[in-house]
Amino acid sequence: MTTQSDHTPLTTDLVALEGAPAEKNACIEFLLDLAADAGRVTDREQALNDLLAREEDATTGVGMGIGIPHAKSAGVASPTIAFTRVDDGIDFDAMDDKPATLIFMLLVPEEGGEEHLSMLSALSRSLMHEENRDALHEADSPERVEEIVLEAIDE
Amino acid sequence: MIERTVTIVPEDGLHARPASKFVETANEYDSEITVKPEGSEAVNAASMLAVTGIGAKSGDEVVLTADGPDEEAAIEAVAAVLTTPESEYE
Repeated sequence: MTTQSDHTPLTTDLVALEGAPAEKNACIEFLLDLAADAGRVTDREQALNDLLAREEDATTGVGMGIGIPHAKSAGVASPTIAFTRVDDGIDFDAMDDKPATLIFMLLVPEEGGEEHLSMLSALSRSLMHEENRDALHEADSPERVEEIVLEAIDE
Repeated sequence: MIERTVTIVPEDGLHARPASKFVETANEYDSEITVKPEGSEAVNAASMLAVTGIGAKSGDEVVLTADGPDEEAAIEAVAAVLTTPESEYE
């Protein structure tokens, strides 16, 4: 993995430690805006449609306070992870009824093959560990979040 | 405890709707249900985060276990989710 922003899924400009809306779809749009502002998105409407279609299929509220909206989309230029946290939690329709406080958005280009699924499973495995969830809650800078997330998906 | 090995049929693998239905089904039984991908540890089938972490694809084999008062019905039900094409879900 290189340090060029084009090739690293998550960079500090894709992290918002606060300010996200406390409603599921609005939060997905907020994360998508982060990705668009970072130059990752070529077609915002397409990317949003793909993300919402996936939610329609089954919620990405995976429980334990985690939401991972994700999609393979022709509207995105390179594999991208955006992150935010919502201290009060968002109703993400999770089966365990716990509100999501840590929210990750994963987007990969159409030609990305199974890449989004391997990023998704690696991130999920990492988030099973309480110390990783705590570290994300306690992170006081986007740099710290970048470090935690890149380590999580680079196993 | 009972155990069964199944090959995942839904095209999406253990992801999206099949994963969601699998976890939902596991939550409907009193038995402890686990799912174990090849070459990795067994995880709690009632946890969506744990199941998402497996990343099992269509055609992959997984080992299911159920342990509890309704283990036979439980393993039957979760195995059915994994061996039914998504188009045939209710």
